[in-house]
Amino acid sequence: MARWKKGRGVAASWYGIARTATIDRAGAWVELDDGGTAKVVTGVTEIGEGILTVLAQVAAEELGVRPEDVTIGDNDTARSPEAAHAGATRQTYMIGNSVALASRDARSKLDAFLANHWGVSESSIKAFNGFIWSEGTNNRITMEEAVDLCKKNGVVPVGSASFTAFGTGLDPVDGSGAPWQTYVFGCQVAEVEVDTLTGEVQVLGMWAVHDVGRVINPRGVEGQIEGGIVQGLGQALMENYELHNGHTTTPSFSKYILPTALDVPQINCRLVQDIDPKSPLGAKGIGEPALVPTAPAIMNAIYDAIGVRISSLPATPEAILEALQRKAEGEVRLAS
Amino acid sequence: MSDGMLRMTVNGRKVAKSAAGRYRLIDFLREELFLTGTKEGCGAGECGTCSVFVDGKLVKSCLMPASKAEGAVIETVEGLASGNDLTPVQRAFHKTGASQCGYCIPGMVMAATSTLRENPDADIEEIKERMGGNICRCTGYTKILEAVELARDILNGKAAPLALEPEPIGESFIGTNVRRIDAPSKVTGKLRYAGDMVFPNMLHMQVLRSPHAHARIVSIDTSAAEALEGVESIITAADVPGTDGFGVFVHDQPIMARDKVRYVGEGIAAVSAESEEIARKALSLIKVEYELLPAVFDAEEAMKEGAVVLHDYAPTNIVKHIPVRKGDIEKGFAEADLVFENTYTTQQVEHAYLEPEAGIGYVDHDGVVTVISPSQNITHHRHMLAGILDLPINKVRCIMSPVGGGFGGKEDMIYQGMLALAAMKTGRPVRLVYTREESITTTAKRHPSRVTLKMGIKNDGTITAVQFKMISDGGAYGMSTEGVMRKAAILSVGPYEYENLQVDTIGVYTNNTPSGAFRTFGGMQAQFATESHLDILAEKLGLDPFEIRRKNMMKAGSLTHTRQRLDTAAIGEVLDVAESFSRWEKGAPTSRGATRGDLGGPDTRQPCTLGARFRKPADNNKKQEVA
Repeated sequence: MARWKKGRGVAASWYGIARTATIDRAGAWVELDDGGTAKVVTGVTEIGEGILTVLAQVAAEELGVRPEDVTIGDNDTARSPEAAHAGATRQTYMIGNSVALASRDARSKLDAFLANHWGVSESSIKAFNGFIWSEGTNNRITMEEAVDLCKKNGVVPVGSASFTAFGTGLDPVDGSGAPWQTYVFGCQVAEVEVDTLTGEVQVLGMWAVHDVGRVINPRGVEGQIEGGIVQGLGQALMENYELHNGHTTTPSFSKYILPTALDVPQINCRLVQDIDPKSPLGAKGIGEPALVPTAPAIMNAIYDAIGVRISSLPATPEAILEALQRKAEGEVRLAS
Repeated sequence: MSDGMLRMTVNGRKVAKSAAGRYRLIDFLREELFLTGTKEGCGAGECGTCSVFVDGKLVKSCLMPASKAEGAVIETVEGLASGNDLTPVQRAFHKTGASQCGYCIPGMVMAATSTLRENPDADIEEIKERMGGNICRCTGYTKILEAVELARDILNGKAAPLALEPEPIGESFIGTNVRRIDAPSKVTGKLRYAGDMVFPNMLHMQVLRSPHAHARIVSIDTSAAEALEGVESIITAADVPGTDGFGVFVHDQPIMARDKVRYVGEGIAAVSAESEEIARKALSLIKVEYELLPAVFDAEEAMKEGAVVLHDYAPTNIVKHIPVRKGDIEKGFAEADLVFENTYTTQQVEHAYLEPEAGIGYVDHDGVVTVISPSQNITHHRHMLAGILDLPINKVRCIMSPVGGGFGGKEDMIYQGMLALAAMKTGRPVRLVYTREESITTTAKRHPSRVTLKMGIKNDGTITAVQFKMISDGGAYGMSTEGVMRKAAILSVGPYEYENLQVDTIGVYTNNTPSGAFRTFGGMQAQFATESHLDILAEKLGLDPFEIRRKNMMKAGSLTHTRQRLDTAAIGEVLDVAESFSRWEKGAPTSRGATRGDLGGPDTRQPCTLGARFRKPADNNKKQEVA
C-alpha cells in the first residue's frame, strides 16, 4: 500500500447578504471638496476586508474623481451617520450602495450648477478620473475647477443617502419568511494528500468558484476567498478549542494550532458575476461565504483518498489514524 | 533586573533611555520610543508580529529582555524606509494586496526582508519556510507569498521595477485592482491600533477573572487592593449605574459578574492603576469568596430535565430554538428509494485575530463617555452602553479603531463597559489591552455543533425529504447564539430545493466559554453536515458529486427552505464553472483517488516535507555564473 494517497472532493454552498431576517440599513454623507477631492463619511470601517478601498472606488466612479482623492471619515457614533455594523457580509452591499447613492446626490448638485452654467442638459454631463465635461460640446474642465466654480456661485456640492435591504422575520412556528433580498452561491474543489503513516493531511490545491455579484475589486475578492479557505482549512484539519470542566487546555498559539504559510494550498479562484438587480451597484459580497464549503470539500477529498469518512471535525492526524485503524479492522472482519 | 539606562542604536539613531528592568525589547521600543509598528500578538514568540532586526538578525522582540539589547543595532519596521518612501518589499505588499487587517503585516514585512537579505534568490519553498514563524489570520498567506516573490524578482533584477507600479486606469474604477488605500499605513507600521494609542495621564486596567465555571459570589473585598499605592480605582458590578446587561438578542450578560459567575474567565473586578504592573499586583490582593455550584458542560446534558440552570429566565437552558417546516417529510421519506441518517459534529474554534482585544475609555470636556476600541458594532455598543451607564444616548460615543482582525469576534461587547465605567469613576483615560491567553480563554468562540441529518432519496438522485436537527453549545451567555441558530436553520440543508423538510436548530446554555459571532454565523456548521451527507448518498447511488448537486439545486423561481421565491440563483453556473475549472474527472465518490487522472496538475502545489534540504550543486554554480 502506498504511504501517500491523494484524492479530490467537492462541496457547494449558499449564503445570504447583509443582516438576517430583518430590515438592514446604512447611511453615508459625501462632499465634493476643494481641489477636486472628495470626503465620504460613514459609520463603520475597515476590519481588514478592504472596504475603504471599495468605498473609494465607488465614490470615485460616481463622483468622477480619482480613488486616491477620496478621504474617508468613518467609524465614530458622534461624527458619522449610522451604518450599523461591520459583519454579516454586508459592508460592500450596504455601505457600498449607500456611498454610491450619496455620491450621486452630491454629483447632482454639481451637475445642476454646471448644466445651468454651460447651458447644456444635466444628462449630457459626464465625469471621470478628475475631469468633468458635457458630451457633444467643448465644455471640459478639471474637477478642481468645477468645484471651485460651483462654490463661488454659492453651492457646496454635498449629498447624503440611506440604503435599505429588505428582509423579513421568520414565522415562529414554520420558519417561513424572506430573510434576505439577495443570495450568493459557491463551490469549492479540494485536492489532498494523506500520509497514511502519520495521518497528516496536506491540501495541495483548492478551486474556488463564487458568485459575488458585480466585482468591485477582483484582488480584494480573491484575498477574501484565500483567507476564508485557509480559515476553513484550519477548522477542517487542526484548530480545536478544547475545554476540560470549563477550563481550556488550549490557551496559547503553542496549543491552539493555526495554519501557517507551509499549510497553504495553491488556491485557484474564478468569480461568477450574477448581478444583483435590487441595488445600484449590483455587487453582493464574499466575506463569510468564502469559507463555507472548504471543510466539507476537504473531508470529501480525504474520503476519496483513503476511504474513511471524517464526520467529526477536526481531521487531526490522530483522528485520521484512528479512522484508518477502524477501517482496517473492518476489512479484516469482512475478510475472515 | 533593576531599572537602568539602556543605550542602543535604533533605526540609525543613538538612543539612551532609562528603562524598567522588567522590560522586554518590545516594551522598550513601544513604551519608551513609541515605535508601535512592532506589535504584540502573543507575547510568547509564536506569532511573529513583534519581529525586529537585532544586529542584523531577525528576532522576536517579545522574547528578548531589553537589557540584552544594550549596545545593539536595532532596526524596526519604521526604519526600513525613510520618510514616506516604501522599500521594494513594502511596495510589493502594496501592489499584491498582501495586507488585510494589517496587524501581522509589520512582522511579515520584517520576515520577508530578512528572507531576501539572507538569500536574494530564495525560491517559494524557502520563502514559505522562512516565513513559517509568522501567523496571519486574514489573507491565507497567498498574496503575502506573491509579494515576497515579486520583491525578490525586483531586487535581483529579474523583473522590471514597473511591476510595482499601479495597474493602468481603464474606463472605470469598478472591477479594477485599485491598490488598497490603507496598505501604506500598514506595511510601514504607521497605523495605530487601540493598543498602540497613548493618552496623557492614562491609567492601565487589569481584570480579575473567575477561576470557577459556576459559583455564587458571596463577597468581594477590594480594600487591600485599593490601599496599594498607584491604584486609582476598582470597579465591580456594584458600580453599574444603569440597567446592567448586554448581548445581541438577549441582554443576559452583566459587564462584570453579578452575584454569580457562569464560566471560567468571566470578569469580576477591574483595577485601574498607574501601570499595568501595579494593576496586576492589585488583582492578587482582591479577595473573592465563592460558593461553588454544580455546573453543566454538555449541551445535550443541559437540555435534560433537572439539569443545572444557568439563567433564571431560561429554566430549560434553551437560548433559542428555530424551526423551519416545508411540505410533509413522512410522505417524502415514504417516496424514497433510500433513506440514510448520519451525525456530524464541529468543534469550538477561536477567532485568533492577531490583534488582541484593546481599548481606551475617557470622558471628554462635554461629559461624553467615549470608548475607542476595535468594535465591529459601534452602533449597538452605544445603545447598550447608554442603558448600562444610564446616560442619554448622545452622551455616549463609540469610536471604532482600526480592527486587527475581527471575524465576528469583536461584534459582541465584551470589555467596553468596563472601560466606560472606569473612565467615569476616575475621570482619567483608562486603557485595557488583553494578553493572548486572556483573549483565547475569555472571549467567544465559533459555536460547536452536533447535527443529525436524515435524507430520503430516489435512485435518480432526487431528494424527497430532509430532517435536520442541530444542537449547539452557546456557552454561558446568549451573545449571538439566537442569530447563529437562525442563520444555521435558514441555510441548513444547502442550495437545494426540497419539497419536504423539517429543520430544527437549538442553542443551549452551558458553563463553557461562550460561543458568539464567527464568520459564517452557523452557516458552515450546518452546510458541513449537508455537503458531507450528499457525497455519502452519491456514493450509495453511484452518482457523480456534481450530478447529485445539479439534480437538486435551486434555480430561478425556486422556493427556499423558508419558502422565499428566488428571482435568481447562480448555483448552476457556479457548479458548471467549478467542474471545468478544476478539471474534474467524472465519477461517483467511491474513494477512487488511486485511479483518478485529474490529480497533481500545474494548479496544485507540491507536498512539503520539513527537515534537511539538499540542493543540487549545479544551482550554486549557476548562481556564481550569474554573479
